[in-house]
Amino acid sequence: MAKLKMKRFEAVCAIEDSRDLVDWLQRCGFVELSEFEEDDRLARLSVGTSVSQFEKILSAAESALKNLDKYAPEKKSFLESFNYGVEISSKEYEERSENIDGIISKCIKINSTAKKIDENKAAAARYRALSDQLEPWLALDVPMQFRGTGSTAAFIGSFQKEYDIDGLTLAIGAEEPEIDFYAEVVFSSRDQTGVFVLCAKDDAQKMESALRSLGFVKPSDPTRHRPEIRFERYQKQISTLEDEIYEHTQNLADYGNLRRDIEFAADYFSVKRDKYKALANIAANDKLIALKGFLPERKAAKLVEKIEKKFIAAVAVTEPSDDEETPVLLKNGRFGGAVESVTEMYSIPGKDDVDPNPVMAFFYYILFGIMLSDAGYGVVMVVAMLFAKSKLRLSSGMKKATDMFLYCGISTVFWGAMFGSWFGDIAQVVALQFFGRELPSLALWFEPVDDPMKMMLFSFLIGIVHLFAGLAVKFSMLWKSGQRLAAFFDVIPVYLLVMGAAPLGAGIITEISPAISAAGKYLAIAGVALIVLTSGRSSKNIFGKLGGGLYGLYNIGAGYLGDILSYSRLLALGLSTGVIASVINLLGTMASGTFLKAVMLIFVFIFGHTVNIAINLIGTYVHTNRLQYVEFFSKFYEGGGRAFTPLKVNTKYYSIKED
Amino acid sequence: MGTGLTLAILGAAAAAAFGGIGSAIGVGMVGQAGAGLVSEDPSKFGKALILQILPGTQGLYGFLTAFLLLVRIGVIGGDAVELTTLEGLMYFEACLPMAIGGFISAIWQAKVSASGIGIIAKKPDESGKAITFAAMVETYAVLSLLISVLAIFSISGIVGK
Repeated sequence: MAKLKMKRFEAVCAIEDSRDLVDWLQRCGFVELSEFEEDDRLARLSVGTSVSQFEKILSAAESALKNLDKYAPEKKSFLESFNYGVEISSKEYEERSENIDGIISKCIKINSTAKKIDENKAAAARYRALSDQLEPWLALDVPMQFRGTGSTAAFIGSFQKEYDIDGLTLAIGAEEPEIDFYAEVVFSSRDQTGVFVLCAKDDAQKMESALRSLGFVKPSDPTRHRPEIRFERYQKQISTLEDEIYEHTQNLADYGNLRRDIEFAADYFSVKRDKYKALANIAANDKLIALKGFLPERKAAKLVEKIEKKFIAAVAVTEPSDDEETPVLLKNGRFGGAVESVTEMYSIPGKDDVDPNPVMAFFYYILFGIMLSDAGYGVVMVVAMLFAKSKLRLSSGMKKATDMFLYCGISTVFWGAMFGSWFGDIAQVVALQFFGRELPSLALWFEPVDDPMKMMLFSFLIGIVHLFAGLAVKFSMLWKSGQRLAAFFDVIPVYLLVMGAAPLGAGIITEISPAISAAGKYLAIAGVALIVLTSGRSSKNIFGKLGGGLYGLYNIGAGYLGDILSYSRLLALGLSTGVIASVINLLGTMASGTFLKAVMLIFVFIFGHTVNIAINLIGTYVHTNRLQYVEFFSKFYEGGGRAFTPLKVNTKYYSIKED
Repeated sequence: MGTGLTLAILGAAAAAAFGGIGSAIGVGMVGQAGAGLVSEDPSKFGKALILQILPGTQGLYGFLTAFLLLVRIGVIGGDAVELTTLEGLMYFEACLPMAIGGFISAIWQAKVSASGIGIIAKKPDESGKAITFAAMVETYAVLSLLISVLAIFSISGIVGK
């Protein structure tokens, strides 16, 4: 239960079997390929064009799915959206892959139709904007390009200003008093006025300069016919475009039943792409291919046997050299495996690390439970997770997540019961408000609100146990690697110091029996002495040793004090869940009259506690992670490893069952 | 009803108000950053939402402090106790860590969370690290809450009400 031991894997295979071998390895899914060095006899396969070809097809399928989501949305309940992968047999997989080309051409059609819809929408919007511009001119009953008749000159255009007909006549008259003219206001708004002005042809030039000086502008795109005609043409175009959009949308909606097939195609091509990407690592000549990589030791013997039986191939499995960085694959039971994602979020275990998950899982659940600390909320979590596990098809990642929250939920029920919080104080509230009875506390141990100091000391105690567990892991790592002296000097003095100082610190808050604090004093002194004497041991001269020792003492003292105080968040988060839950219950009983109160309580209870669970779940998750990352991991964990990424069938929509 | 009670209520109000203001600013900031991301990629809504909620806890802690104090002095759910001016002042002071610490930590946590939105945009798988960065700031809100609550409990032990 830990990091799986990795072996190096090297194989050569006859060229005629190579395709089958790679397919087979991908289906097995536990060999990670690494680059095979080229030499003058072997050249690596060039697969770049194939990969990009598959990428292109894959992205066509994915965008077809996205377009279907938009134009033929699938009705899916909230719960169904958690379902993963319809299972199909590998035989069905082969069968369905035969008409894959047809599906891809449909995908391309879907995408081009969706693109047409977008283009039509853009064109329609453009025409709408144009007809909006034209609309005010509709009252004009001559073409906008009209320049006048044989003896008259016409001016059609606008001012960036509001005029009525009198104002316009006055303004033109003031500018050019000697000309006779006829003016008409076509439209007028606060910042624009469209006008039609007519005068004798001889006066045209004078009129033009008069209008210009008033700010007259000719329209940028005047109509050749009456504006109405162009306007109607626009409207017609818009409605044609909209008809087309409607038609295309209907067509796309009809494609809705292809969704499953397209999903299959997407999976099919992503598997192919992965394979060809892996092929880039393989070297070949005209007779054989050569490949190498890593695989977990426990799979090695069987794999070699199968390969040599099935294919014309020779396999060698060897021990990786010490300085080689092997990829990391974790294997844990359900209890420890559930928190793997938390560790991976921090970092994959490095070369010298042990797998922290089994130790961490235990504390993770405990810390989570103490921080959420409401048995009612714990029950909700347990029920929800059990429901998810039994009713939904979950991906393996989701399975681990549900396991994690299931265990966290159980722990929450336990700690909630210890601290007497069941949806806050709902039992007491109901008993008092509806039956007039005072219920005693339901706590099996004590209520943190009544005695926060006790809870804080308990939090520190949990913290010390947690930190000591981390140190114990460090001790065993050092011990196993042969640094036995370092194991003692790095861990034991800290144990002594913390164990000795703890009762002294606790004495500030609560009464500690004198015998214990006396013992604590001696332990602490022993610890201090050991730290001062040993933590400078890497230094060569005596002053360096002493300086290093004092510096080590300061580091360890300040560091552990900070680490332990950090566990006070157990108290703070526990209080915040419980007290807010009680506030919700209190709000629910604000109404007067038994019936009204009951109805209101039910509503407030459901809404309030749902919100409180959600907020506190996030808070608890974050703070539990923090305690693991900062306080716990800093004691022994390095991280920085590389995750094992085998060539495998990595599908999104279907899960393929091997027969 | 005297100055003492007024001061204590002022303290409760400060804790709730400043915690709330800090969180409102904080949640708002991260929300803006998150909205920008979601406009590009709606599927990242869930991850962005978690980051947005993070600076919201200070408002909750402030509320918690205020509520505990108001219950202690009987303003909520009972008869208000008489406090001397000095006792009221003590309660007021007890609320200050939460009011100030909550206010400022919420805003800084929001800055970290808003930058974390960038992590979600570029490396969605690493969103846990963005959350962890923001959670580091949260520590100081938790410590403020803790000292305020402990002080309220201890003062009520000292003054006997």
